[in-house]
Formats: sequence, C-alpha cells, structure tokens
Amino acid sequence: MKNLFVTTFAVFAAMTCLGQKFYTKNAQINFDATSSSSPERIEAINRTATCVVDTKNGNIQFAVLMKGFAFERALMEEHFNENYMESDKFPKAEFKGEIKDNDDINYSKDGIYPVKVKGKLTMHGESDDVDAEAKIIILNGKISAAADFTVKLSDYKISIPGLVADKISKTARITVTCSLEPLKN
Amino acid sequence: MKRKKIILYVVLSLLLVLAAAAIYIYIEYNRTHEDTARLKADYSLAATDLIKEFETNEQASNKKYWDKVIRVEGTVKEVAKDDKGFYSLALGDTSSLSAVRCSIDSVHSNEAAAVKKGNFIAIKGICSGFNADEMLGSDVILVRSMVDTKK
Repeated sequence: MKNLFVTTFAVFAAMTCLGQKFYTKNAQINFDATSSSSPERIEAINRTATCVVDTKNGNIQFAVLMKGFAFERALMEEHFNENYMESDKFPKAEFKGEIKDNDDINYSKDGIYPVKVKGKLTMHGESDDVDAEAKIIILNGKISAAADFTVKLSDYKISIPGLVADKISKTARITVTCSLEPLKN
Repeated sequence: MKRKKIILYVVLSLLLVLAAAAIYIYIEYNRTHEDTARLKADYSLAATDLIKEFETNEQASNKKYWDKVIRVEGTVKEVAKDDKGFYSLALGDTSSLSAVRCSIDSVHSNEAAAVKKGNFIAIKGICSGFNADEMLGSDVILVRSMVDTKK
C-alpha cells in the first residue's frame, strides 16, 4: 500500500515536472568580437538575461538588455552602446526558437544532452535566423543550458568603421549559459 | 639666429601638443568604469514606483531613466549568487512578480553578501532598461549596482 502511494506520487511529480516551463532571470551571455589580428580582447558579459524553456515542446526564448553588457574598458562599452548597437534606440535583443531534438531529452534523467537550437535573433532592430549548438545539462533534477554560436554583424546592419576594422571581428561569438528554475504558476 | 630660435619654439610646442594628445588618448583608452558608490544618483525613488512608471509608459521611462544613476529603496525579494560569485538582488513587492533587478558590481560583492531576503535596503545602480514579460513578471534592470547604506 505504501509502495503504491509512493509510486503514484512519483508519477504525479514526474508528470507535473514534464509539462512545465523553466526560467531564469540571471542567464549569462558573453559577447566576443575580438578579431584574430587584434592584440586586445573585445568582449563583454551580461548577467541579467531572461530565459524561458518549455520542456514539453522545446520552445526557448531569451531577452537581454544591450546596456547590461559590461566591458572592462569604459570607452569600449560606450562605443558598443553608442556607435554599434545604438542601444538607446534598440535597447533589447531577443531570441525566439526551439530545441530541435527536444524529444530525445529525458528531463527527468541526469545527463548531458547535446542539441541543436534553431530560431530568430533580433538585435539592433534587425532579425535573422540563427543555428546554435547547445547542451542541456540535467544534474540532480536541475536543468541548465549552454549554447554557442556566431553571428555576422552585417546581418544586423551593424557597421564597423574602417579605422578599427582590424581590431573588431566581422562576426561575434555569443556564448550563453544559464541554470533554470521551475516556473510556478 | 632669430629664425633658428623661432623654429625651435615651434617644434617644441608641437611636441608638447603631441605628448598631451598621446597622454589623453592613453588615459581615455584605459579608462575603467567609475565606481557607482562615487556617483551621485540622478533619481531616488521606491522600487515599486519605478516599476509602476515603466509599466505605465515604457518608452517615456526609458528616455527618462536609461543610462542614469538611480537609487531605489525596497524589500529584497530574491538574493541570487551565480557560480562565479556574482550577486544579483531583486527589490519589489513580494505579491507581484515584477521587480527591480540589480546586478551587483563585483567590487561591492561583500555588502551584497550580507543582504537577506526580506531586508529593506537601498541600491544604487545604472538603469539599463525594462524587460517586460507577462508570464515572468516585468523587470527594471540596474547594472553595476551597489548596496547603498548611506541615508
């Protein structure tokens, strides 16, 4: 009898867990546009990105405020916001997409699941398709995710003046890491 | 003789100007962010009022507060520390999902470590905008923040 109760409970727990949304408001996004010939690093980190994952259908969303990208050098950060991203006009970047192999992930079993994420990234007022290699990590029932992809800055109408063209890469490498919490409704 | 002197002066002053420019560029290039603790707040208000203002008119509030130093007071809803030791504090009404989310500058981690959920505190930071989300609650984000203990 006791066993039955435990199993029923476990099944219910697993069921509620499966159809749930997971989120974080402290996702980290790293932006790296260092060109291979540049002696200095052009990179920034943002720790206040929002991320929501629906484990049922694999939908995934990110939202991040451009002004939250922190560079080591103040001048670089000002140029990033004022000249390149025009953050006052386009304060936000968004990604909406889906985990392609969501059905292969067993969210209730610990493991590292390599997946592909496909979707649309909007920044600087422009949208473009993005394909990313990602990892969904389940450890002790907690979900975290990591992804890595490059974007061509010209696809988002971000132009780099000739004077600094040798320092700033034409593509930016974006790395995302986040650990997710279940969303309680 | 006189001519030589003039040339010498001209060359010398040119060199001075060049040196000044080089020093300026060097300092400007290596400039780091000013510590938020030393910045004077442009606006000082309750966290809940700031959220309300953004919720009623995001565009106007963005114009008003974006890139400005803001000091907010409120109840701590959440203290989060990431795997690299960076703190993020959320202030606001516990009955609502919305909050003012402040990512704490690493030089001020110590003060943030002492903060507990439910404390009433003031935080000073630079406003990076508003993240509206119906499902998760909307957030006003402050970056390079620090817990402000001064009255």
